[in-house]
Amino acid sequence: MDLSPPVQFDLHRRMVRIRVFEEAAGRLAEANKLPGFLHLYVGEEAVAAGVCAALNDDDHITSTHRGHGHLVAKGGDFNRMMAELMGKSTGMCKGKGGSMHISDLSLGMLGANGIVGAGSPIAVGAAFANKYRGRGQVAVAFFGDGATNIGAFHEAANMACALHLPIVFACENNEYGEFTPRSATMAITDIVDRAAGYGMPGVIIDGMDVVAVHEATLEAVARARAGGGPSLIEAKTYRFYNHHGIQNLGLKYRPDDEVARWKERDPIFTFEDRMIENGTMTRDRVDEIWAGLRGEIEVAIKFAEDSPLPTPDQILVDVYTSMTGAAQ
Amino acid sequence: MSDVRKLTYGGAFNEAVRQAMEADENIFCAGEDIGAFGGVFGTYLGLQAKFGAHRVVDTPISEQAIVGLGIGAAVTGLRPIVDLMFMDFICVAFDQIVNQAAKLKYMFGGEATMPLTITTGGGAGLSAAAQHSQSLEAILCHIPGLMVVYPSNPYDMKGLMTACIRENNPTIMVKHKRLLGMSAHVPEENYEIPLGKANIMRAGTDVTVIAYGRMANETLVAAEKLAADGIECEVIDPRTLQPLDTDSIVESARKTHKVLVVHEAVKFGGLGAEIASQIHELAFDYLDAPVARIGAPFSPVPFSPALEQHYLPDAASIEAGIRNLVQRS
Amino acid sequence: MSTVGIIVNPNAGKDIRRLVTPATHTSDVTKIGIVRRAIVAAAESGAKRILLVPDTHNLAQRAADGLDAPVEVLDEPVSGSRHETIGAARRFRAEQAGAVIVLGGDGTSRDVAVGWPDAPLIAISTGTNNVFPTAIDGTSAGAAAAFVARGIVPLAVVGHRSKKVVVHIDDRGVVHEDLALIDLAFIDAMFVGARAIWDPLTVRAVVAAVATPASTGLSSIAGRIHPVGRFEPGGVFVRLGPGDRHVRVPLAPGAFTTMHIAEVRPLADGETITMKGQCVLAFDGERERPVSADATVTAHIESTGPLLIDVDHALILAARDRIFDATNHHLTKDSHGS
Repeated sequence: MDLSPPVQFDLHRRMVRIRVFEEAAGRLAEANKLPGFLHLYVGEEAVAAGVCAALNDDDHITSTHRGHGHLVAKGGDFNRMMAELMGKSTGMCKGKGGSMHISDLSLGMLGANGIVGAGSPIAVGAAFANKYRGRGQVAVAFFGDGATNIGAFHEAANMACALHLPIVFACENNEYGEFTPRSATMAITDIVDRAAGYGMPGVIIDGMDVVAVHEATLEAVARARAGGGPSLIEAKTYRFYNHHGIQNLGLKYRPDDEVARWKERDPIFTFEDRMIENGTMTRDRVDEIWAGLRGEIEVAIKFAEDSPLPTPDQILVDVYTSMTGAAQ
Repeated sequence: MSDVRKLTYGGAFNEAVRQAMEADENIFCAGEDIGAFGGVFGTYLGLQAKFGAHRVVDTPISEQAIVGLGIGAAVTGLRPIVDLMFMDFICVAFDQIVNQAAKLKYMFGGEATMPLTITTGGGAGLSAAAQHSQSLEAILCHIPGLMVVYPSNPYDMKGLMTACIRENNPTIMVKHKRLLGMSAHVPEENYEIPLGKANIMRAGTDVTVIAYGRMANETLVAAEKLAADGIECEVIDPRTLQPLDTDSIVESARKTHKVLVVHEAVKFGGLGAEIASQIHELAFDYLDAPVARIGAPFSPVPFSPALEQHYLPDAASIEAGIRNLVQRS
Repeated sequence: MSTVGIIVNPNAGKDIRRLVTPATHTSDVTKIGIVRRAIVAAAESGAKRILLVPDTHNLAQRAADGLDAPVEVLDEPVSGSRHETIGAARRFRAEQAGAVIVLGGDGTSRDVAVGWPDAPLIAISTGTNNVFPTAIDGTSAGAAAAFVARGIVPLAVVGHRSKKVVVHIDDRGVVHEDLALIDLAFIDAMFVGARAIWDPLTVRAVVAAVATPASTGLSSIAGRIHPVGRFEPGGVFVRLGPGDRHVRVPLAPGAFTTMHIAEVRPLADGETITMKGQCVLAFDGERERPVSADATVTAHIESTGPLLIDVDHALILAARDRIFDATNHHLTKDSHGS
């Protein structure tokens, strides 16, 4: 149940990597250096870090429109991620996906997704393939509270349970579907209340506590690997910035004191305090880690800025694969 | 004597799937009622008994999740064949087909391959009414990233289904419901008909008729009748609608100078509009008349046989259409 | 006064133990149903005021919605923390409630005891491995609560004084007083994490006020060695570690493990246990408070817990007094002017 110091450091590093990447992305967006939409993961780092630290490289995840955090937590490369946000040819997706479709199949990250709820059926497919091959891999579907109101989620949850697949449904309940509070869009408060309806266990955890998320995911993943079937983890969390970008656009959809209350529970700072009190970490070491990762981000920004833009002849490339593949 | 061996259109589909699954363990099938029951059209009969429930999977009635199952499995290394019972049901799964399957590879910068085959039963003529009879292929052809295949006979079915399964792009194999019982020679050995290659079913000099699915067969009937009157039709079945074999079509148009496109989908915005437009763009100077089109009226497919038989094009209406076109010049 | 208070903990019955054991999930709908039945039964049984407090999940409001009952949802702050329950208990005391129905686990009843140490309590289990609250239907609970609140059934007869573990923590000069109703455990951990305890190797010691072999969780360790009933004085201290005795224990519902017992010490009322060293303190089965290597934790057991109402007994007394007879029943309603 308790985590060794190396595991603690790993969780911490994953969270800080997400934070520095997202804050850099936010700054670049404010400076009009990033085209398109930008959904920042800041505030929810404990979820991606706690979940992905319980996975192997060959386990699969599907993500959401707020997907940078999931890819960073799965080990995503800063340079190629930043280049992708800038639409460069060196980007993770060669400038064809952008923020909302960022992916890295080599890390088992099956894509951020611009369609709310659409990742869950795909995760079911990955889980099916994992069971089919029998190599003990699992799939995790990340999704928000809002996604549990769309049919794709329900179909995926039911099918995963019907087929008894090795999958973990990881709900990031940040209490808002875009700009509308959860209470306006569903008559229940806890997404886990839905789990029993599909025939799987569901548990609530504090999504601001990376240890809690990690403990729960270790159990859920172990269960899935052992053939125990799907489970649902609902992490109560909060996004510190807006639905899209950093600026509030003058929209007042969340009370200031609510935002402030959640920020007091910052998943990274509270974890650092705890580690320091436990004597496994020092303040100086914490500062070094932040400085080191901020340095990596500066390198990534430079890499992205110096990278070439894709040329127009690339528009038609990769619409289709040009070879066939089945055994004959 | 293998050269006289006959199979039905549905049987040819089944044999293609069976032979592919024997050759490649990464291939599995999933869909509603396809396991123990063999599919509502019988096209998956016997496969679960042969390959087991883990390779021929009965799913919930969840079209989005069925396609999602295929996508997730395809992108992680399997070669799924997923069945959407009726073509009308693609609408239920449209996000997964259009926004996910078709685009993942592109959005991921080419990293993904999507060897996914979606099979579905299309077409009218069974009094199945407006939600179980549609021909929605034009909508699918409009989506970059998808391939759309629509065989007109048992031989093509086996070869095209084999090609779909081997294809590394998402393909949609449309089985016409009224052709399932059609019987013809199908070789037992495995063979593949390349996707994107049209079939000149009948060579002719006076007029080119482009038709696919059941309409290709109706057109052949009309063509035989017209031949008795000295009108020689060249009948082209594109077989694959996306990518379309424009070269073969344009070549024929340049030869016969008159073209009719026939489909049982509604005429407005149908594939005929695209084919006509391509011919006009690439062979306008060769044409003696504008490309003509025959399609269904702009209404949902009606239920009553009395209405449906008038709704659908048939050999007689195609014959009339050809005569009308030939008289112009 | 005939005032009944109802507290429902929306977070009970949903934690990680549903993943690591076959523990039951208790949905909002289930909780709303229990509260609704309790409201109806309390009103039917003559309660004049039925007090609720708002909660993060709107369970209280939804339970009362549309009922023809004298329900008041009091204006109390909604924090989503245990302070909601503590505050509700304080408020109910101030409102002179004659009985309180609480839905939750051991931890929820503990919070009531913090807010109102002498609360006359009907504790309904909607949690996981509960010892203090038990499985009581809302219909019975509401009736018993109303009869006690009305004074028809004497609290002195049907209320039984429960125990508590009184905890004193001195951690680098910071002093903190706390309590548990069932058990205090010393957990070999650095983090509160997912709160629940399912890894037997992390349990260092348990101070149990109630130790029954019929329970699950930490108190069952002591319960399977040295049972102490819920109304007997004193308790038991168990230290885990290398020793001669090895006991099979359901550390969570449906999950058995072997615990290695280093020491068992019966505790008289007031007898103090002192522990030192870094650990996480678990109150009534949940990791809650990390303490440093310099901390000194002392604990003793007192019979000063809430007054636990025996619902069966209360309803039997009511039946003997013909309270349920229709004639009496209507007189009762008339006398309350409803």
